[in-house]
Amino acid sequence: MANIITIKRRIQTALNVSKTTRAMQMIATSKLKRAQDAAISGRPYVEKLMFLTQRLTNKLEEEEKSDYMKTPKDVTDALLLVISSDKGLCGGLITNLVKELLDQDTNNKDIKYITVGKKIEGAVARLGKEIIASFNFGTTLPIFDMIYPIAKIIDDYFLNKKIANVKILYTHFSTVFYQSPKVETILPIKIQKADESNEETFPFTIFEPSAKEILPSLLRHYLEMVLYQYLLESYLSEQAARMIAMKSATENAKEIIDYLRLEYNKQRQEKITNEILDIGNGASAFAYE
Amino acid sequence: MNLILEIITPEKIVYKNEIDELIAPTADGQIAILPNHIGLLTKIIPGELIIRKGNSQEALAVTGGFLEVAKNHISILADYAIRAEDIEVAKTQEAQKRAEKLMEEKVSDRDFRMAQADLIRAITELKVATKYKRRASKPTEV
Repeated sequence: MANIITIKRRIQTALNVSKTTRAMQMIATSKLKRAQDAAISGRPYVEKLMFLTQRLTNKLEEEEKSDYMKTPKDVTDALLLVISSDKGLCGGLITNLVKELLDQDTNNKDIKYITVGKKIEGAVARLGKEIIASFNFGTTLPIFDMIYPIAKIIDDYFLNKKIANVKILYTHFSTVFYQSPKVETILPIKIQKADESNEETFPFTIFEPSAKEILPSLLRHYLEMVLYQYLLESYLSEQAARMIAMKSATENAKEIIDYLRLEYNKQRQEKITNEILDIGNGASAFAYE
Repeated sequence: MNLILEIITPEKIVYKNEIDELIAPTADGQIAILPNHIGLLTKIIPGELIIRKGNSQEALAVTGGFLEVAKNHISILADYAIRAEDIEVAKTQEAQKRAEKLMEEKVSDRDFRMAQADLIRAITELKVATKYKRRASKPTEV
């Protein structure tokens, strides 16, 4: 009865798979929780930084603005920063990202790429496009130091007017159940003008050194912070997607196990019935002698 | 009316409390901020922040950022800030050595900059730590 042994093995395999997927689901859940905490605790900083940047730019005339806020002329090339995960097994996350990447590629042929994450690096390489740099995303919560090399390359290209704008392609975290790829422009920085007539929220302020001198470093900071927020969000999406994917994988494995158990018991019973019949037949044959 | 000080880093809010005086290292030199200070926006350079409250004094190491004063409310946006008593001297010394070694080797521009940033951070931390740690740990030695 080779068949019955095969079924038994398949049950064992499905059990092992479900154990692994459940463990992965649990890991993703705890990582998701930590990432959410990190995103929330970073919010006061970002808000304050936005507020300060807004106030500072309000004080400045158009021509005094930093290079970060101007669109370079005579260049059409764009820079696209793509953020993906290093690891797969997170549902449709990477497929969707690649789809969006191809869309971007058909819209604009003159795109240079910076990739973060091993998964997207291959996809961009296959397109045969220029990759300026590629970074690993890592499997733990992204740390702020990751930003510096990325920001430096972006600086190099944008401030030396080699590219017209910098966009970012990342996975937007809507809810735990829904994440979608999204493209945002990060450079040139666009900041809305605020109404400063209200003395209560905008008291008289002196700038040391002058507003014009503070602005570049403030904007640079702003850029870094924005990049970090996108990294965090991509990480959040990855963990959420993996959690959901692994949850359904565990459920599917359970379904398969249930089905196989039923099949196994059926066959086992059939085998026993057959044996009893055999014995019965044998016994009756004796009786006739 | 007291000053309210808030020190925010990208990771978390490091400090939030009412204080009497703040001494901070800025790009134009060290400044002290007392209650009813005029609105101010300035850049902080790596160094130590001294917070006075009543008779007690507290120190923090910061590695650059921005300082804003608005109506007795000081907000510091720091890249990194740590309280003097939380600094782990041995670990920091190790980080300093590692950074120095990296800078001596001919590494890429990117690595060099990162090592440089680490080094500045380590030196600042050590400076603040050696200045305050001894004083703070004295009562426990007795």
